[in-house]
Amino acid sequence: MLHLLKIEWLKIKNYKAFWVFTILYSFAILGINYTGYYVNELTVQSLPQSQLLLGTPYAFPNVWQTVGWMSSWLLYFPGILFIMLLTNEFNFKTHRQNIIDGWTRKQFVSVKFVFAIIFSAIATVFNFLVALLFGFLTTGSHFAFTGMENIVFIFIQTVAYISFAMLMGVLFRRSGAAIAVFFLYGLIFEYLISSFINSKLELSPIGYFLPLQTTDVMLPIPFGKTVIYSNAPAEYILVLASLIYIAGYYFFAMKKFTTEDL
Amino acid sequence: MKILTVDHLSKKYGNIQALSDVSFCVPEGSVFGILGPNGSGKTTLLGTIMDIIKPTSGTYRLFDEVATEQHRNKIGTLLETPNFYHYLSGQKNLEIAAEIKQKGKDGIEKVLEVVDLTKRKDSKFSTYSLGMKQRLAIASCLLGDPGVLVFDEPTNGLDPVGIAEIRELMKDLHQQGKTIIMASHLLDEVEKVCTHVAILKKGQLVTTGNVNEILSNEDMVEAGADNNDLLMDVLQTLHGPVRIRKEHNRVMIFFPVNTADLAAINSYCFSKGVILNHLVLKKKSLEARFFELTNN
Repeated sequence: MLHLLKIEWLKIKNYKAFWVFTILYSFAILGINYTGYYVNELTVQSLPQSQLLLGTPYAFPNVWQTVGWMSSWLLYFPGILFIMLLTNEFNFKTHRQNIIDGWTRKQFVSVKFVFAIIFSAIATVFNFLVALLFGFLTTGSHFAFTGMENIVFIFIQTVAYISFAMLMGVLFRRSGAAIAVFFLYGLIFEYLISSFINSKLELSPIGYFLPLQTTDVMLPIPFGKTVIYSNAPAEYILVLASLIYIAGYYFFAMKKFTTEDL
Repeated sequence: MKILTVDHLSKKYGNIQALSDVSFCVPEGSVFGILGPNGSGKTTLLGTIMDIIKPTSGTYRLFDEVATEQHRNKIGTLLETPNFYHYLSGQKNLEIAAEIKQKGKDGIEKVLEVVDLTKRKDSKFSTYSLGMKQRLAIASCLLGDPGVLVFDEPTNGLDPVGIAEIRELMKDLHQQGKTIIMASHLLDEVEKVCTHVAILKKGQLVTTGNVNEILSNEDMVEAGADNNDLLMDVLQTLHGPVRIRKEHNRVMIFFPVNTADLAAINSYCFSKGVILNHLVLKKKSLEARFFELTNN
């Protein structure tokens, strides 16, 4: 696998778009959390009673969850990036050439997923550092390990979004179609379907188990959670469901890539 | 050793039969041409043996073994188009190919020299002309000095000088004892460089064998009887054939162009007590063969 990763590294090392995206993504994580931090400070300053509702989102131990939830809005970034990395191969027909030159089809898919996991781990570490930073910036906040399970949730959610995106890439092969479906489903249709199942059909909490929704509920909004995600399943069930989804994305991407004509 | 054995290979794309029950083998050290007009299934055939396309039925073997990726990285293959990362330079693209083939970087300089791309090796692939892309693909095939090369339309996009250079290169490679499998729609190209040929038409194998026999100005008659050894003996005394050869369960009889007379062969054998169960005129002449190929 190390050798496969080395080759994957050769592919992206000189790929400018990858680095531009990654740097923008890092700044965006920092930026969105700074915005949240700043807006919260302003709100509390001008309207002290609001603290009753908002709590202290950027103080330990809440900061782990707050940063995770804020950053989760940006997961479409790495999603698009990995769709591009995959559809590039289809566009250039290098997915064929890699196999012709001696990779197996399985190797081609598995190294992409392993690379996604490594990327997610790095993004998680970055989120951890950002959480530390804002935790310490908040006055009267002291470091606490409590709530650090949210760091694990950030990792699982990042892997889930990226591997879902990659499955779209493998299914649609064209970046435009894959990105459009990824966005429309993730940002609009999943909410519609989820609230339809939970509210109209009154089948709650089944609506929380849609592919991306599962991870969103696992790492929920830090305040007003009980209203927004009423009747949400236990955390460990959501973690388990997220892991099953990730395994499913891998399985179907692998199945499609290993059984069809390339 | 047989480098490639194709056994009853078929491929359907929906309603289209791209390959239909194709069988042949490629002997070691040959330059094997797969000749056929556009859409005759050449690329589908090569794609199948490279595991890019899944056959509907049939099997293939590489180096007399069940084909795996281990065999593929011992073969330098250019399939259909040069496939490279557009945003990387020629050099970087070859580094990736060399890593996948597990051959190391050392050979890169040499293969770039062979295809005359050394000066442009640091330019991005996307800035290359069609001919340069094709030459980079050939360079990639040569990485690690493989014993077997597969070229799909190798002279595509090259100017006349480039075409001549590639043909020279193929002759050189052949002389070094390498096996080359080459798909082409150019009869002339196959005639000039190949030792063996398989002719495809609409996914079906028209004929296969030694290029001199298939593409020469000879009539080829394929005959068969219950006892082919006896048939061989009888044919030795027949007036007219240039030579006679036994192949699988058939006897091939070669005549000077336009002199094969099936009725005469049949009655001669019958008079000698051999009853034919198979008698076909396989080839009339080079022109006739070409006509058959290009006319649908």
